[in-house]
Amino acid sequence: MAQYWNIFTQLQVASPPHDNPATDDPIPYRTKFKTLSKLIGWFGNAQLGPIYLGPLGIASIATGLIAFEVIGLNMWASVGWSVKEFIRQLPWLALEPPAPSNGLKFPPLAEGGWWLVAGFFLTVSILLWWLRTYRRAKALGMGTHLAWAFAAAIWLYLVLGFFRPLLMGSWGEAVPFGIFPHLDWTAALSIRYGNLFYNPFHALSIVFLYGSTLLFAMHGATVLALSHLGGEREIGQIVDRGTAAERGGLFWRWTMGFNATFESIHRWAWWFAVLCPLTGGIGILLTGTAVDNWYLWAVKHDFAPQYPAAYQILPDPAKLPENARFEVQP
Amino acid sequence: MTFTIKLTGVIVTVLLVMGTVLAFKKTSAYQHGYPGTAMDLVQSDAELAQKLKANTVPAALPQVPAGGPLAVDTYQNVQVLGHLSVAEFGRTMAALTTWVSPQQGCAYCHNVANMASDEVYAKVVARRMLQMTMHINQDWQQHVKGTGVTCYTCHRGNPVPAYVWFNGPSNDPSARPMMQGRGVQNAAAKDVGLASLPSNAFETFLAGNTSIRVQGNAPLPSEANNRHSIKQTEWTYGLMMHMSNSLGVNCTYCHNTRSMGEWETSPPQRTTAWYGIRMVRDLNNQYLTPLTDVFPAYRKGPHGDAPKLNCATCHNNAYKPLLGVSMLKDYTVLAEAKPQPAKTPVEPPPAEGAAPTEGAAPTPAPDAPAPAPAQ
Amino acid sequence: MALLSFERRYRVRGGTLIGGDLFDFWVGPFYVGFFGVTTIFFSILGTALIVWGAAMGPTFNPWTINIQPPPLEYGLKFAPLREGGIWQLVTICAIGAFTSWAARQAEISRKLGMGYHIPIAYSVAIFAYITLVVVRPILMGAWGHGFPYGIFSHLDWVSNTGYQYLHFHYNPAHMIAVTFFFTTTLALSMHGSLILSAVNPQKGAAVKSAEHEDGFFRDHIGYSIGALGIHRLGLFLALSAGIWSAICIIISGPFWTKGWPEWWNVWLSLPIWN
Repeated sequence: MAQYWNIFTQLQVASPPHDNPATDDPIPYRTKFKTLSKLIGWFGNAQLGPIYLGPLGIASIATGLIAFEVIGLNMWASVGWSVKEFIRQLPWLALEPPAPSNGLKFPPLAEGGWWLVAGFFLTVSILLWWLRTYRRAKALGMGTHLAWAFAAAIWLYLVLGFFRPLLMGSWGEAVPFGIFPHLDWTAALSIRYGNLFYNPFHALSIVFLYGSTLLFAMHGATVLALSHLGGEREIGQIVDRGTAAERGGLFWRWTMGFNATFESIHRWAWWFAVLCPLTGGIGILLTGTAVDNWYLWAVKHDFAPQYPAAYQILPDPAKLPENARFEVQP
Repeated sequence: MTFTIKLTGVIVTVLLVMGTVLAFKKTSAYQHGYPGTAMDLVQSDAELAQKLKANTVPAALPQVPAGGPLAVDTYQNVQVLGHLSVAEFGRTMAALTTWVSPQQGCAYCHNVANMASDEVYAKVVARRMLQMTMHINQDWQQHVKGTGVTCYTCHRGNPVPAYVWFNGPSNDPSARPMMQGRGVQNAAAKDVGLASLPSNAFETFLAGNTSIRVQGNAPLPSEANNRHSIKQTEWTYGLMMHMSNSLGVNCTYCHNTRSMGEWETSPPQRTTAWYGIRMVRDLNNQYLTPLTDVFPAYRKGPHGDAPKLNCATCHNNAYKPLLGVSMLKDYTVLAEAKPQPAKTPVEPPPAEGAAPTEGAAPTPAPDAPAPAPAQ
Repeated sequence: MALLSFERRYRVRGGTLIGGDLFDFWVGPFYVGFFGVTTIFFSILGTALIVWGAAMGPTFNPWTINIQPPPLEYGLKFAPLREGGIWQLVTICAIGAFTSWAARQAEISRKLGMGYHIPIAYSVAIFAYITLVVVRPILMGAWGHGFPYGIFSHLDWVSNTGYQYLHFHYNPAHMIAVTFFFTTTLALSMHGSLILSAVNPQKGAAVKSAEHEDGFFRDHIGYSIGALGIHRLGLFLALSAGIWSAICIIISGPFWTKGWPEWWNVWLSLPIWN
């Protein structure tokens, strides 16, 4: 299998770093900083910078930093301001949302109020960043596809932290900030609502998650396998199909009977990636609002497998009459 | 350069392979669900061997011949075991000592100069615990079945069992109260197997009788009418982590996790556990908490409460305490509480000159002095 | 028949690994090859076995059909057909079909003068499957540890296997794998968006160039990995997700039998904290 795999750039061609193309910004807030990194140049472009730092971006970073600090300082406070314990226990620490009894009111800061503050600043930061992706594309005269893909992810974020708690009438339903605690929330959500695997939108979302991984492996491998023919120069191959695009298409046509083009593969990619958070958000939004127990919902709609009994089934002891409850089972 | 990279690659690969081989655990699995549902208990052979060692049952003391004077007639202040013969009483006391205070001997509970005295707090506690043991074996057979418990089941040769709990924030020094004051969460607490789940579920669920269930019984919210929150589910999950680790089993031992709440998909172990929870609440509230004023301060928790029990207290990380071996058959006195007989009355000696009546009462045995304590 | 406009000149002989010219032809758009024949053989046999297994079960509802592995007590032996034997045969057919597919991809790559990246990438997925149904069961001493073949029944296996370790999210390799899955999806959305935004520009504007691709991402996050780099990155992220998934399940059982949260005691008891 001696062939050139083109995983690392064996011969880096260094040229002075480029400026970015002209935009229609009234004031181009581009940094002067740009440099080359040989280490990164082994794998991707060697150039770092320039970056555009306009008012939207600065505001986004600032509000994001505020959220980050609120979360971090609350975590640090919860270990009594010990630096050692903060680092040691960091994966377990959290900033929790308010108690369910609080409903949708604004609680005292120490009882979930800080979570609302952090959530607010984080949301503003994300929305400002979204505006930034929209503006940057428009300024360069490009399509706004990335902004709309980002919007799908923001949809999921807002469902988890805002829309669903709103519909459930309780901020306490939202996700805590914290590495392990947000995983506890995930498991608890599934336990509470009858196993999320039976939520059809959860299943769809996973299909698109795994499908995206499959697609990127396929597309990445295809382009690399054609990189000796200029396969990575995708814009050129799209507007004027070369032998790389032809071979790429034919590979998949011969393998599985149909193929994409160099442009349409990116539409497959875009839709698979976007549909993952889109359907996932729908699935979360329906949980607790439209469905209380996804397994029982699956039983009702005939898609829960039934297994032969492997052990004795006993009735709910809480439902037995008092005297029968304390009969010893054989 | 390429030689260094290749050499590093070879060394790393060799180390990885060695590490993998050394870390491999030979396991055996017990399957109790339908094939393919993965309701299995997988344990490494090392774990199993260690469990066997940790759950050896002490040899039963030799049986004593039946008959002879009753303890109630021989000793003072016998309130629970008075119906035993002196020999059986002594045997029971000897067993108790080996089970609870083998190092400290009888002096742990008794003032050896006055064995009948209740001045040592441990004697009062032990008396109540004898009643508790009999209560468990007689009234909680839904959980302990015919296997039953003895003092050894919890104490395992220690005056204080290895696993007890107190009110308030977890004993775990790495845990600390959450700022919101809702209990211990988001710390690596041992009580929940080092997850960041709430770790003081014992107060709520094993002393209090807060409902543990969180799943609804119907698909739609309008039918299920289930107001439990995700946060409440985390509390239940924390309790379940404790139960799993206490028994050395996993969630599939009692549940088919596709539908944890449904009883139609749950193995019978879940029913046994349901009774176990009720038993723990009963014992904590009827036997342990009422002893609060008997325990000295150094035996109580930071909030001044009595030590209480949970699943780990008896189970000690085994699916059945002592791996299901019954000690009760050798100590049937602990199987149930018996009504205590009154002291046999001493007949006054007949009056001077009076002829003995037909069928005179037999001469009762005089009060014997307390025998030397058995060593 | 069914040729693309430019296809004819690419349909040449050669590139086969086995069989020479014997199977070197196309059926419609599909290339056959020796491995095409074996793929069809294993696929049809495996599918027939699944249908037969479904017929022995209670339903033909595609969501609830279930082909279950043998009970654990059969260990690593062949089980009776009705008690997991069909599962074992389907597994053999699956492995046969998947490896045939990968080899066929290699033949097609050779014929088209392409690198072997695609069959290698696909082999990582096959490796993950084999880890789940062959390697881990062997290490644990019973075929019954494999997952059942059924759309929703295999999810019951996933749920219960996860809860065997009390809280599977705490498995560190699982955390890494999940991160790679989400990052792959993020990167795919970004790459798809970038190409589409360059060739579908603002109304009335000209199609954009590589300078604009790089320019957008440099403006956006200060770095553009470039046309070649993004495909390297995408392949790496996707394969890492598969590899770490295989690792996360292989360590669960043969290398760790307790709850996964307890593993983190390694971190909590590092000497540096004293």
